[in-house]
Amino acid sequence: MQTITRAWLILLALSAASTAVSFNVTLQLPAQIPLLGGIIILLLAWAKARIIAARYLELAQAPAYLRGFSLVLALFMLTLLGLYVAATPFSG
Amino acid sequence: MTQTQTDQPFDQLPGDLMMWILIVSELLVFGAGLLAFMAVRVTDPAGFALAQDQLHRSAAGINTVVLVTSGYLAARAVGYANAGRIAATRWALLAAGGLGMVFLGIKFTEYAEKAALGIRPETHPFYTFYYLLTGFHAAHVIAGLVIFALLALRPTPRNLQVGAAFWHMVDLVWVLLFPVIYLLR
Amino acid sequence: MKYQTQKIALVYFVVAMALFAVQVSLGLLMGYVYVDGNFLVDLMPFNILRMLHTNSLIVWLLLGFFGAAYYLIPEESEREIHSTKLAYLQLAILVLGTAGVVVTYTFNLFEGNFFLGKEGREFLEQPRWVKAGIVVAALIFLYNISMTVLAGKKTAISNILLLGLWLLALLFLFAFVNPANLALDKMYWWFVIHLWVEGVWELVLAAILAFLMLKLTGVDREVVEKWLYVIVATALFSGILGTGHHFLWIGTPGYWQWIGSVFSTLEIVPFFAMMAFAFIMVWKGRRDHPNKAALLWALGCAVLAFFGAGVWGFLHTLHGVNYYTHGTQITAAHGHLAFYGAYVCINLAIISYAMPVLLGRDPYNQVLNMASFWLMSGGMVFMTFTLTFAGTVQTHLQRVMGMGFMEVQDQLWIFYAMRFGSGVAVVLGALLFIYSILVPRGEIVKPGPVERDRLTRDADHVVAE
Repeated sequence: MQTITRAWLILLALSAASTAVSFNVTLQLPAQIPLLGGIIILLLAWAKARIIAARYLELAQAPAYLRGFSLVLALFMLTLLGLYVAATPFSG
Repeated sequence: MTQTQTDQPFDQLPGDLMMWILIVSELLVFGAGLLAFMAVRVTDPAGFALAQDQLHRSAAGINTVVLVTSGYLAARAVGYANAGRIAATRWALLAAGGLGMVFLGIKFTEYAEKAALGIRPETHPFYTFYYLLTGFHAAHVIAGLVIFALLALRPTPRNLQVGAAFWHMVDLVWVLLFPVIYLLR
Repeated sequence: MKYQTQKIALVYFVVAMALFAVQVSLGLLMGYVYVDGNFLVDLMPFNILRMLHTNSLIVWLLLGFFGAAYYLIPEESEREIHSTKLAYLQLAILVLGTAGVVVTYTFNLFEGNFFLGKEGREFLEQPRWVKAGIVVAALIFLYNISMTVLAGKKTAISNILLLGLWLLALLFLFAFVNPANLALDKMYWWFVIHLWVEGVWELVLAAILAFLMLKLTGVDREVVEKWLYVIVATALFSGILGTGHHFLWIGTPGYWQWIGSVFSTLEIVPFFAMMAFAFIMVWKGRRDHPNKAALLWALGCAVLAFFGAGVWGFLHTLHGVNYYTHGTQITAAHGHLAFYGAYVCINLAIISYAMPVLLGRDPYNQVLNMASFWLMSGGMVFMTFTLTFAGTVQTHLQRVMGMGFMEVQDQLWIFYAMRFGSGVAVVLGALLFIYSILVPRGEIVKPGPVERDRLTRDADHVVAE
C-alpha cells in the first residue's frame, strides 16, 4: 500500500475516533475524569494535523521542518488544553 | 557566508516557498482565532456548551471524512502528474473538487439551518467565532475549487504540487477547527 | 544618470521637499497650540492646521513616490519615460490642487458649493474639483509609467511598484463616497487611507527599498526579488483585512473586532521582513557605495518603520486595548513614528540617493545629510516617547478614571511642552536635510587608511557606480 493511502486511512480512523469520543463526552460517561474526552480530542487533532503535514504536504521529506511543525503545533494544542481546563468547572 | 549556504534551509522545503509563506500565514490566523475562541469560552463555558449543542456534530464529522478524502485524491493527482498521466490527473482533480463541493453543500445546509433558527454572528460569542472561523475556512474551500479548475487546465507537476499544497492547508485547518469548535466541551 | 528623462524626478523631489518643510512647520505650530491652547485660534483654528498638516504630508509623500518612480523606472525598464510633457503636466495639476485646498480651507471660500466648496468632512476633505484633479493626475501618471514599462524590460521591482501605484489610484476612488452617516463616512475614509498606508503603499515602499538595496549593496537581483515577493505577500495578506482594526469601536459590526485584531497583529510581519531584508542585504553586500547617507536613511527606514508601524501599531491594535486607547495620544504617537519611519524615511532615502546623481554631484558623502538623519530621527523618536507617555496618562485619567477631556489635557501639559521641543529638533533636521541636498557641492570625506587599503587590494571593492 502507498504511504499516502495509508495516511488517508489513518486519517479516516482518527476522524471517526474523535467524533465517537465526543458523543461519549455528550453522554457524560467518564464522569470521574471529566477532562479525558477533551484531552483525547485535542490529541487526535494533533495527530491528524501532523499526518496531513507529513504526508499530504510532504514535510516528511524535510525532517527538521516536520519536527519544528510538530513541536509548535503541540505547544499550541497544550495552550488550547490549558484554556479548556480553565473553562471546566470542578465540583468539590 | 555565501549565497547558497544561507538559502539552503528553504531549499529543503517541498514545493514553493511562497505557498509555504501563505500556509504559515493562514495557520497563524486560524490559530489565533482558535486561541481567542478558547479564551472567550473561559468566560462563559455554559453558554458555549449550550450554543454548541445547536451544531450538527455528525454532519461536521462526515465533512471531515469528505475533506480528508478530497485531500487524498489531490495528493494522488500530484502523483499522477509526476508520472505524466494527464488524464488520470484531471480525473483525480475532478473527484477532489467534487468532494470539495460536497463539503460546501453540507456546510451551507448547516448555515441555512442556523439562519432559519435566527442564529446570527451577534447571537452569542460562540456564533461570532463559529461564523468567522468556519466561514473564512469555507471561503478557502471555494478558492481551492478555483485552483483545481486552473490546475486541470495546466496540469504540470510543478503546478500540481503548489496547488495541492493549498488544498492540504485547507484540510489541515479543518482538522483543527472541527474538534475545537464542534467537539470540545 | 543614464537616462535624460530621470531629470523629471528632480522637479518632483524639489516640490516634495518644499511641501515637507511646510508640513513640519505646520506641525510645529500645532505643537505650540497644545502648549498654549489659544495660540492662533482666530487666525488658523486647530482643525484647519491639522487638516493642512496631515494632507500636506500625504501629498508630499505621493510626490516623492512619483519622483521615485520617474527616477527608477527608466533604470529598471531601460527606457526613457514615455512623455516628459505629461509628467510635468501631472505635477502642475497636483500643485494647483494642493494650492486650491489650502486657499479654500484657510479662507472658507465657496461654502456649500457642490464642486468648489469643502465637503465639510473631517477627513478626505478636498473640494470635489481637487479630488477630480487628483484622479486626472493619477491617470496621466499611470499612463505615462505603464507605457514606459510595457515598452521596456519588466523587472520584479518595476512590476511591484506599478501594482502598488495602480491600486493606490484605484483606492482613492472611495474618496468620492460621502455618506451622511458618520460611521460609514469613517469606514470609507479607512478604505482609502488604511489600504494605502498598510496595504499598497507598502508595495511602493518595498519596491523603492529593493531598488536602493540593489544599487547600494550590489547583491544579486535574484535575491532581492525573492525578499520583495515575501514582503509584498505578507503585507497584502495582513494589511487588507487588517483594515478591521479601524472598525473596532466606530459603530461597525462586532465581528470586525476579531478580524481586525488577528490580521492587524500580523501586519508586523512584513515590517520585520523589511528590516531583516535591509540588514541582510548590507551584510551580504559586495559593494561599498560612497552614498552612505542614502544607506543610512534606507536602514533607518527599515528600523523605524518596524518600531513605528509594527511595534507601536501592535501596542493598541487589539480591540480590548483599543477600547481604552482609541483616539488618545497613543494613536498620535503611533501615527508620527509610523509615517516618519516608513514613508518619510523611504522618500528621504531615495532623494538622498538620486539627488547627487541628478545634480551631477556624485560621488558624494553627504555628511550634513547624515547629521540631519540623526537630528530628525532623534527628534521624532523623542516625540513618540512623549506622546506615548501622554497617551498612557490620558488613557488612565480619561478612559479609566472618567475625568473630562479638557481637565485631562491640562494634566498632559508637561508632555506637550516636551513634544514641542522635539518638534523643534524635527523641523531643524528637515531644514538641514533640504539644505544638505540642495546647496553643498564638493563635500567628500577622504577614505581612511583601511578603506584606501581595501580599494587598492580588492578588485571587487567598488567605490562608486
